[in-house]
Amino acid sequence: MSVGFIGAGQLAHALVKGFTAAGVIATHRITASSPDTDLPTVLGLRKMGVNLTTSNKETVNKSDVLFLAVKPHIIPFVLDEIGPDIEDRHLIVSCAAGVTISSIEKKLLQYRSAPKVMRCMTNTPVVVKEGATVYATGTHAEVEDGKLLEQLMASVGFCTEVEEDLIDAVTGLSGSGPAYAFTALDALADGGVKMGLPRRLAVRLGAQALLGAAKMLLESEQHPGQLKDNVCSPGGATIHALHFLESGGFRSLLINAVEASCIRTRELQYLADQERISPAAIKKTTLDKVLQQPGVTNFKDRLRTAPKSNPNDFAKLFIDT
Amino acid sequence: MSVGFIGAGQLAHALVRGFTAAGVIATHKITASSPDTDLPTVQQLRKLGVNFTTSNKETVSRTDVLFLAVKPHIIPFVLDEIGPDIEDRHLIVSCAAGVRISSIEKKLQQYRTSPKVIRCMTNTPVVVREGATVYATGSYADVEDGKLLEQLMASVGYCTEVEEDLIDAVTGLSGSGPAYAFTAVDALADGGVKMGLNRRLAVRLGAQALLGAARMLLDSEQHPGQLKDNVCSPGGATIHALHVMESGGFRSLLINAVEASCVRTRELQYLADQEKISPAAIKKTTLDQVLQQPGVTPDAVGVRSRGISMFNSSSSSSRTKKK
Repeated sequence: MSVGFIGAGQLAHALVKGFTAAGVIATHRITASSPDTDLPTVLGLRKMGVNLTTSNKETVNKSDVLFLAVKPHIIPFVLDEIGPDIEDRHLIVSCAAGVTISSIEKKLLQYRSAPKVMRCMTNTPVVVKEGATVYATGTHAEVEDGKLLEQLMASVGFCTEVEEDLIDAVTGLSGSGPAYAFTALDALADGGVKMGLPRRLAVRLGAQALLGAAKMLLESEQHPGQLKDNVCSPGGATIHALHFLESGGFRSLLINAVEASCIRTRELQYLADQERISPAAIKKTTLDKVLQQPGVTNFKDRLRTAPKSNPNDFAKLFIDT
Repeated sequence: MSVGFIGAGQLAHALVRGFTAAGVIATHKITASSPDTDLPTVQQLRKLGVNFTTSNKETVSRTDVLFLAVKPHIIPFVLDEIGPDIEDRHLIVSCAAGVRISSIEKKLQQYRTSPKVIRCMTNTPVVVREGATVYATGSYADVEDGKLLEQLMASVGYCTEVEEDLIDAVTGLSGSGPAYAFTAVDALADGGVKMGLNRRLAVRLGAQALLGAARMLLDSEQHPGQLKDNVCSPGGATIHALHVMESGGFRSLLINAVEASCVRTRELQYLADQEKISPAAIKKTTLDQVLQQPGVTPDAVGVRSRGISMFNSSSSSSRTKKK
């Protein structure tokens, strides 16, 4: 089985590192593509022994499981480019926040009658095999396809199937969650440094404390509130600290964060569903690089009839006729 | 080597579970004592196969490494009780927040010339072998004693030696840290539930996200800010969420928390250093239970009559000094 990544950024890099550390797939069976070769992650992927190419079509040809690891607004663009090359064997796994299975299927149905699509939301700690992944299965993908993806993703962390309409909420919680944690760790370390600890030790202790607590929670049947109670001795240091957190609305800020990320994800979905990509959203150099790839003819054809500097005609490229 | 715990509460329980999971010591070589047998942790320690007793003196006589796992204000009380029974072999490890090595040595020197004391600060995730522990070595403990403790504590998580005057700050950060994390996961799960997830999945995903992020940071040489940047795609969901957090002063709340815990720890130290324990701080039933233990005389715990503070220095001159 070969795995391909459309996109060679943070997500592709993290997944490849995780998969190879877990030993579920050899790097020579992984292909990744991106028109932009300047990304630092591209170098990282090359070093790992991944087949790197600037041609998305080449990635499609070389793989069976195809991860779409590009930003949401790029998805329609990529689907039009690779649509003609999708075969029966391909399993398309979109990792793009907010992009619905139905919008992907709708685009691909222009090229194949039964495209196998899955949607997943994962997060960067897959790189250390402690990711959090959920997935939903599309109309034409089988239960076995779901199991295959689950096997892959379970090798790099927690993975479970969910109803598709929960995925935006998951994005807000565990998709964005690591960023909340990194911010918290930076602040905790600042606190430690303020009270006299050297920075390195403060970062280490803060991260270890979060890790240990999270592990306790995952391995326990108890409520987080009960575990919190267990740490708070009467009149002790911890309950004094907790009062400060509560006074400042700590909990509310985290609820707000999950909500804000989820809402923005739904906005991104709305933008992606437009099926139009504004010319303002792609660099001319990137577009040129794509057009230079072997086999990308459908765009060339469409572009030939459009005057170069007319944004409306450019936009028409991506509207269903 | 036998290990003993004075105190059979949350900390003793967590350490015992961690040590036994790590296989560094067999449960039959562990003894724990407490006058209060109603604690739920007492039951759990018994189930683990630990020798449980109501006599602190018994714990002392059966062990080599002795953890003081009681609340800070109880420390002077316990030291007076067990002081006469300390032998050369004993290594006293105090886990009590804020209690300084010098105050413990001072008390024990009424009974022995060179008591071996180490102070440590650990945290409850030792129970899943992901604890964070620091320690400082007292005047009469050797480097080998420090290494012995480090071996024990490293079996249940991260452990490093520090200067003693950093320990209160460590208490504020990693000692109390798990409570900040539990509160955070509770809130994150509320957020997930608000946006439509079922509670169990929300708790699972929240905890997993924190665990994964912490693991990434520990395994990386990069700054947390850099790792945060890497998760924030331009115009994406995450940076929107981060803005909301920053607007609310999220970072400041955590700095406040670490500071508050550290400051309170120093207050506790001050109280413990008083060497007096108000009779209001011990239940009469507890005191009675202690006095009923074989070998514990009212003089030894400084009780002359009811209602008087137990640790005035005048009472110590009547005790036998061991060499």
